[in-house]
Amino acid sequence: MDEFQEILQDFLIESFELLEQLDQDLVELETNPQDLELLNRIFRVAHTVKGASSFLNFDVLTHLTHHMEDILNKARHGDLVLTPDVMDVVLESIDLMKELLNTIRDTGVDAGVDVSACVMKLDAKSNGTAMPTDVSMNEVEVEPEMVEEDEEEEEIAASSSDEPNYESMSDAEVEAEIERLLAQRQEEDQRKRKAKQAAGEVVPHIPDVQEEEVPKAAPVSSANVVVAKQPQPMPKKSFDEPSEDAKAAAPAKANATAVEQTIRVDVKRLDHLMNLIGELVLAKNRLIKINVDVEERYEGEEFLEELNQVVSIVSLVTTDLQIAVMKTRMLPIGKVFNKFPRMIRDLSRELNKKIDLEIYGEETELDKSIVEEIGDPLVHIIRNSCDHGIEAIADRIAQGKSETGRIVLKAYNEGNHIVVQIDDDGKGLDPVMLKNKSLEKGVITEKEADSMTDKEAYALIFRPGFSTAAQVTSVSGRGVGMDVVKTNIEKLNGIIDIDSEVGRGTSIKLKIPLTLAIIQALLVGVQEEYYAIPLASVLETVRISKDEIYTVDNRSVMRLRNDVLSLVHIGDIFEVERIIDAAEHAYVVVLGLAESKLGLIVDSLVGQEEIVIKSLGEYLKGMEGIAGATIRGDGGVTLIVDVAALMQMAKGVKAKPMIESKATSGVKEKNKASDYHVMIVDDSKTDRIIMRKSLEGLGITLTEAADGQEALNILKQGDATFDAMLIDIEMPRMDGYTLANEIKKYNKYKNLPLIAVTSRSSKSDRMRGVESGMVEYITKPYSSDYLASVVQRNIKFKAELA
Amino acid sequence: MSDKLKSIISKQNEQQNRGVVSQLEDAVQLVGFIIGDEEYSVPILNIQEIIKPISWTRVPQTPPYVLGVFNLRGSVIPLIDLRLKFGLQSKKHTDETRFIVMKDGNEVAGFVIDRLTEALRIRKSDIGPAPDTMQEDESMIDGVGKQSDRIITILKVNKLLERDF
Repeated sequence: MDEFQEILQDFLIESFELLEQLDQDLVELETNPQDLELLNRIFRVAHTVKGASSFLNFDVLTHLTHHMEDILNKARHGDLVLTPDVMDVVLESIDLMKELLNTIRDTGVDAGVDVSACVMKLDAKSNGTAMPTDVSMNEVEVEPEMVEEDEEEEEIAASSSDEPNYESMSDAEVEAEIERLLAQRQEEDQRKRKAKQAAGEVVPHIPDVQEEEVPKAAPVSSANVVVAKQPQPMPKKSFDEPSEDAKAAAPAKANATAVEQTIRVDVKRLDHLMNLIGELVLAKNRLIKINVDVEERYEGEEFLEELNQVVSIVSLVTTDLQIAVMKTRMLPIGKVFNKFPRMIRDLSRELNKKIDLEIYGEETELDKSIVEEIGDPLVHIIRNSCDHGIEAIADRIAQGKSETGRIVLKAYNEGNHIVVQIDDDGKGLDPVMLKNKSLEKGVITEKEADSMTDKEAYALIFRPGFSTAAQVTSVSGRGVGMDVVKTNIEKLNGIIDIDSEVGRGTSIKLKIPLTLAIIQALLVGVQEEYYAIPLASVLETVRISKDEIYTVDNRSVMRLRNDVLSLVHIGDIFEVERIIDAAEHAYVVVLGLAESKLGLIVDSLVGQEEIVIKSLGEYLKGMEGIAGATIRGDGGVTLIVDVAALMQMAKGVKAKPMIESKATSGVKEKNKASDYHVMIVDDSKTDRIIMRKSLEGLGITLTEAADGQEALNILKQGDATFDAMLIDIEMPRMDGYTLANEIKKYNKYKNLPLIAVTSRSSKSDRMRGVESGMVEYITKPYSSDYLASVVQRNIKFKAELA
Repeated sequence: MSDKLKSIISKQNEQQNRGVVSQLEDAVQLVGFIIGDEEYSVPILNIQEIIKPISWTRVPQTPPYVLGVFNLRGSVIPLIDLRLKFGLQSKKHTDETRFIVMKDGNEVAGFVIDRLTEALRIRKSDIGPAPDTMQEDESMIDGVGKQSDRIITILKVNKLLERDF
């Protein structure tokens, strides 16, 4: 059973791969019906699938492919001309085949799809146009089993040339003859292979060498005249020869079919590898941070140089490794583009328009997950272009355009992004018409319409419920398609840009980040919190002074060059308590996503960092505005902003005056001595007792902490506001300097007096103390009066309360 | 001789195995902890690890008892304060405060508790049902374990890990 499953898996993978190529080949075939090379390739797909499916007992599939094979075989022999009508049937049968394969993949059996209608059509076409010749009749009869067929074919092939008459031979003789021919062929094959290998070419593995026999069964009148001249069966030869006949297209085709040396790897393994690399990137970030800290601390020491080198090598290799693994997940976008020639063909027939599709840059590579997501949006955009963009033939002629419309699909790299551009030379978007339509449908208000720029008007096509088509056709007009585009592109953190000119055409650009797992992010700070914003969505950052912010309709806006940008404070969205907002300036991060823009006000810009996206887990999944989390160099967790959700949330946020909290955060009135609160941080219990004794006399409240970490935790909990801190320098876990540095990072403790109490008395120690933000420096031992007076001075103690 | 030996050994093994099985069958291993004034416990198999408090990051738009997320050796894990969840006042973390990281299937979360008591083994027969007043489905309580000197509430880990906002 397992073995069968394995075979089935391989069969499905192979079949889907074959089909992918098939669609393109078929459309090409229609424009170039004489291309035998193409025909042969298509025939081979039907044949391979038939052979394998009969082996695996998929009777329905075998039945269908068998008839497909029939009709294609006739076309190959020139007995049947491939008119568009015939192609329609063939294409239909291929769709059925796909459906069957999908059913097999999902359920393991090929039941539930009715192929009889299609088979009848196939037969009608195949019989209607061409009178069955003897040979093709013969073939149909002998085909039920592949192996048998091949052998018989061989006989027929042989008998059609000047070989001995097999009819008169005994069974054993026939066997012997077959053996001989096979051996001969294998030998020949091998020789060719070697020759090719010597020439440095990759030899494509040709699974069904025997198939090549089939052309020899053809009547002499067929295109394969060459074969008749060759008495010996030479499959390789006959494979090459027709391609010479097929002139122009042939050389390029030969290249395209050359099989690359690849191995198939389970995507799960690659994902796992990617996860591991992610961990490595985090470790690298951490190492870099530590290196910076060490540098500061041991400036000028010799080993620093070495450490620096190691760190830079590690970070370099990590980056390379990351790129290398990312590349293994990359697929050419051609995988998606492949299905469009067929789609355009069907659409143009359905809509009675003439449309040419040009594809550029199909070799551009993208992460697998993105390739999977980008298909749907492209389908909708291209359908839209065909249906609404390109005009009917008569209209085009009336406007002096060529009657064939043109759609250009191209992909190219731009920095860390890939751009997929869809251009058409149709009627273009009319901003006025778009606005009127939207007003009619109630998508926008009159007021909104008035203040809209052309670009904003173009973006209206992405609103759900919007459709410019007067009638709902099977192609479009339901007003969901473009909404799908927007949603999917937003999911990929992409940006949509539309350009259009009435009468000239429309150009839609999708800008998508290369990969999803590890991204570049901009780290921003608000009060004591940090957030990471995917750099792909950041258009620019600007520093503005507070009076550049205006309020319109209860919403903050600013003027950015010629545009008006709506603003929202990150703190309002993420419910950050704003305690101090004293700064004169604010930073605005201009976010762009799909077609919309928003200015996000933050307190500080920390910098750009490579981050690995981690999920918040089941419990916190789907928190609004949060796309995930990442682990920073210091081991802390930083949340990643979900730009799409944030833009939605911003709509509900009313403008708040920027400087509001000043008053509430003001110092509370001290009415009694115990309102003063001082923290003592020292690892020695004795020292803490001495300090406590010195200060107890004042009647102020005292809190003790045994090291920097503990002190920091007490501060973070914010249960009490402190008026001063006495800090020892030498402490385990976190020393005094580090503690002071950490405390000064918090806006609300910027002005908290920190008093160093230490036995370190050298000048350089004092300097470090000042650098880390200490206001006083008391050396041990000290008199208790002195300590008390220093503290009193720093907390502005009112003596009368004592 | 050797056959005899074998049969003896196999008999011994059997006995041993039976002993283990019966032990497994009629006892549950729990880890007890204190929240507020009460002692609670969860099955030891649902506990991934117990760590000392470390720093965490607040996550916006969550109820107050969700303190945020923290980094557990590279995984981002939610942190829930059980005092707040059980409707008690929050309390400053002390030397005895611990984060218990519990898991149920793929779901993992850290829970802040006031202090650990002990790992204990309770016979199944000593476990009574949750008080009748509680709705069967809604309750976070799996049962009540009776010890000689006290009673211990056994919590449902899957209920604790269920998002209820």
